[in-house]
Amino acid sequence: MSNRSITCPEYKARLNTAANLLDTMKTQIRQGVLKKRNLVWLELTGCSGNIISLLDGSNPDFKYLISQMTNFIYNNSLSASEGEVAMEQLFSVLGSDYILAVEGAVTTKNNGLYNIIGRLNGKLVTAIEAVKTLGEKAAFVIAIGACATHGGVSAARPNPAECVSVQSVLNRKVIKLPGCPCHPDWFMGTLAHILLYGEPDLDRRDRPLLFYSTLIHDRCPRRSYFDKGIFAEKLGDKTCMFKLGCRGPVTRIDCPIRQWNQYVNWPIEDDTPCIGCAQFGFPDAMEPFISYNTTREVRR
Amino acid sequence: MRAQDLSGISFDSIIAEVNYDINLLYVVPCVYTRNMILNHLRDRISMVESVTKAIIQPGQLQPQPLPLQPGVTPIAEPPALQQPTTPGNQTTFTLQELSKYDGKGGNPAYVTVNGTVYDVTSNATWAAATHFGLTAGKDLSNEFVSCHAGESILSKLKVVGKLV
Ligand code: HEM
Ligand code: SF4
Repeated sequence: MSNRSITCPEYKARLNTAANLLDTMKTQIRQGVLKKRNLVWLELTGCSGNIISLLDGSNPDFKYLISQMTNFIYNNSLSASEGEVAMEQLFSVLGSDYILAVEGAVTTKNNGLYNIIGRLNGKLVTAIEAVKTLGEKAAFVIAIGACATHGGVSAARPNPAECVSVQSVLNRKVIKLPGCPCHPDWFMGTLAHILLYGEPDLDRRDRPLLFYSTLIHDRCPRRSYFDKGIFAEKLGDKTCMFKLGCRGPVTRIDCPIRQWNQYVNWPIEDDTPCIGCAQFGFPDAMEPFISYNTTREVRR
Repeated sequence: MRAQDLSGISFDSIIAEVNYDINLLYVVPCVYTRNMILNHLRDRISMVESVTKAIIQPGQLQPQPLPLQPGVTPIAEPPALQQPTTPGNQTTFTLQELSKYDGKGGNPAYVTVNGTVYDVTSNATWAAATHFGLTAGKDLSNEFVSCHAGESILSKLKVVGKLV
């Protein structure tokens, strides 16, 4: 089932949340009404999965982001400059208007010594120093992905480097886009909203309601099986994966509508239970990812 | 469908819902809403179907009178585990007895909060009898307070007894 064939107005509207914002933004950029803003993408302790996910974005693509929407000041995986030059470039934004995007958790053990992001004026710069310095002065801070929003995989037990979320080291509002990784649309849509209208409406946990308002379970195409108590017994069954430990009922995000890899598919459609990667506490709190031999069926 | 799950299903209210849906179908102009209602209707009808089947299925159990009101006592099959009971018709559990209801090997999943034992077997947020790293078959009073203080979610759960 491809969502593009869906004619439900709610699905259509929600699939286009990011696209509509970005279209408005593109028009305003063409008309020269909208000013580009500086964007810094800081990568701390993580796997670079969010920047890779963003590179996969199509609507608009990464090139448009760095050439038309923003002045893309710094990203340690993608910047052309290296070494001290790159670090000077990074810290040159201080004093100007900029938006700070952060992926990866903050290591705190031994004053952050386990993540050195570079050397400035001959001195080592730890990730924790960088995120504190840049985070305090930024116009907006957006934490992207599980590690930045709540510690995620980097903070999973036993958490040897004592990783924490970006919010834990900053005394200010941090917009949070949990997900492992973050969908390109969640970031692009949030950024477009900021450029056009400022901060989007957020829930109690600072997630943009544009994307994080409904449970996966509430929009899951297998929901009617759940309601009737018809459950999958093994991977590959096409029914509800509740008894296998599906985390769709505790995970608020729009995967069933938006889908992944340029809107092609998503885990449940591909017979994998949701593992709650967009829920706070992932991965520890979402384990076990799969269970067999659990409670008996309630209805047949 | 197992007959024991029929408790709580009221034919009267299913029929009322079906009638309500039909009336609604006459007036809604929107095709999407209409599809939703049709879906709901189909769901109710299959519910009636499975209830009927469960009642007349030979071998599985004796024909039983239909439960007509919600809240009537379960009409069949003992649960997988013999529930410990005390006089006074109140099921009670010791911590050790509770630990068997861990949601594994076909057992139901029960948890205790502040002395009351709740059934979370079919609760969506307790998939595979686990919930944010917690497992069933335990007294989770402290965990509940630290995570859900002030939320009125326990009233949505089925009460199965008391912890002693
Ligand atoms: C480690 C402690 C716990 C955490 C972190 C936790 C977390 C959560 C979260 C985040 C949700 C809502 C998901 C959403 O709708 O966005 C939820 C729902 C729920 N939790 Fe917990 N929980 C904890 C302990 C418990 C315990 C001990 C119980 C015992 C009965 C429980 C029962 C429920 C129920 C019934 C719901 C569904 C609420 C509803 O119907 O609205 N939780 N939990
Ligand atoms: S597969 Fe998961 S999200 Fe879908 S209905 Fe079942 S429990 Fe809910």
